[in-house]
Amino acid sequence: MNAKAETADACDLRFGQVGIACVRVRRVDAAALCDELERRVRAAPAMFARAAVVLDLSHLLNLPDDGAVDALLEAVRSAGMLPVGLAYGTSETEALAKRMGLPLIAKFRAAYEPVAGGSSAADEPAPSGKAKAREPASAEPDLREPILSAPVPGSSIGAQHHLGAVRSGQQIYARDRDLIVTGAVANGAEVIADGNIHIYGGLRGRAMAGAQGDEKARIYVSDFRAELVAIAGQYRVFEQIPDDLEGQSVQCWLDGEKLLIAKL
Amino acid sequence: MTAEIIVVTSGKGGVGKTTTSASLATGLAMAGKKVAVIDFDVGLRNLDLIMGCERRVVYDFVNVVHGEATLKQSLIKDKRHENLFVLAASQTRDKDALTQEGVEKVLDGLSEDGFDYVVCDSPAGIEKGAHLAMYFADHAVVVVNPEVSSVRDSDRILGLLASKTRRAERGEKPITQHLLLTRYNPARVAIGEMLSVKDVEEILGISVVGVIPESENVLTASNNGIPVIVDANSLAGQAYSDTVARILGEERPLRFIDVPKKGFLQRVFGG
Repeated sequence: MNAKAETADACDLRFGQVGIACVRVRRVDAAALCDELERRVRAAPAMFARAAVVLDLSHLLNLPDDGAVDALLEAVRSAGMLPVGLAYGTSETEALAKRMGLPLIAKFRAAYEPVAGGSSAADEPAPSGKAKAREPASAEPDLREPILSAPVPGSSIGAQHHLGAVRSGQQIYARDRDLIVTGAVANGAEVIADGNIHIYGGLRGRAMAGAQGDEKARIYVSDFRAELVAIAGQYRVFEQIPDDLEGQSVQCWLDGEKLLIAKL
Repeated sequence: MTAEIIVVTSGKGGVGKTTTSASLATGLAMAGKKVAVIDFDVGLRNLDLIMGCERRVVYDFVNVVHGEATLKQSLIKDKRHENLFVLAASQTRDKDALTQEGVEKVLDGLSEDGFDYVVCDSPAGIEKGAHLAMYFADHAVVVVNPEVSSVRDSDRILGLLASKTRRAERGEKPITQHLLLTRYNPARVAIGEMLSVKDVEEILGISVVGVIPESENVLTASNNGIPVIVDANSLAGQAYSDTVARILGEERPLRFIDVPKKGFLQRVFGG
């Protein structure tokens, strides 16, 4: 290797969004935390086993002492997840992170705002009645075998592209954006998007658009043989695909509460 | 020189993985390659029977993985081809007896011993045994029967091959996928009882590397411990020879995919 060579192309350094689960601690109880997380890992090992997680202590009334935080981190670790940092909070949190030798991970919206509204700010203490450590909104769909494709850094809201077939048992989720699949979606495969879904190929599995409730989302398929299509929670299953739709290119949209499908 | 690792897998059981592993390994050996075929179906070993070496198993795969025996002690030389070796599974253990490190050590050992190909006969399912069988593979032969449940399971396996293997994890060139359609009965395809080659290719989105016709010779050969590829008179044997040639890069047209036309005598006397 030539050390004098142009090094600018050696890497790209950008801030990008990556999928990190956020463990929001509501109670300083390492044993309960460990049990709860272990249950989550068991329920969806492909999703959570060895998942990178950020510990969010901002919902505790008082920041726990170093020993307690150590115990919490250890609880996360023994549950089978990998704590990689602390969530950004007050200057106290910053000092704590420094002492622990952990990075502070800045607030990322989806992980902080509970889906059902409620408290959203990191510095607003929530009622500490609940024992459960909440998982982030990103984990809401039961992703058994997610294909985590990180969004293109720098782009604002572009669509997520998936090249090639989506195989049975695979699941693709495009958060906050459209999903474009160039290839077939097999029986038993699922494609989910918060925006629209475009499938250039056969849809034999399931497609769910508007997963966060966008009723304007649509699904476009070039070869329709779906098991199920859903928009904003309204779904239709097809035990028998109507003859006039089978193998056709169709679009699906929501008219009130009715899910309509028509040939393009 | 490293050995090319080929996994024979399917997801579903009973579709012909072991039959295919035996014939594929034998075919590669007949082409002059030095080949080892490993049975990953720990606890339900069958490959040794199909290869006709069940009475010569002293040490097995699990023994090597655990360092209780050397590769040399465990490899069973085929009685017909001197460059073909079988590594049997252990019948008395279960699949947890295999470890990723252990399997890697065995495969590396075979590479060092100058093997050209290692054929890994995967167990059914998608659990540990199947995972380990595919994890280190360079090529995959996905065995599928022309029926919907087998096709769906194969689809799942194709997805796993693209995501849960060393090549996928390291972001290397993906595993070469070969789809092998077995138990194909052109007559039943013609009357719509079975999926056609075209149907299967369309659903899975990849083309087949071979089509093995349903044949009584397969069962007979298995029961006699002779890989069916050795039987050059059987259609299944010829189809396997074609398949091996294609995997080695040769172009051969697909055979035995149309309903055979019966001759006059066959029509009179039944065939």
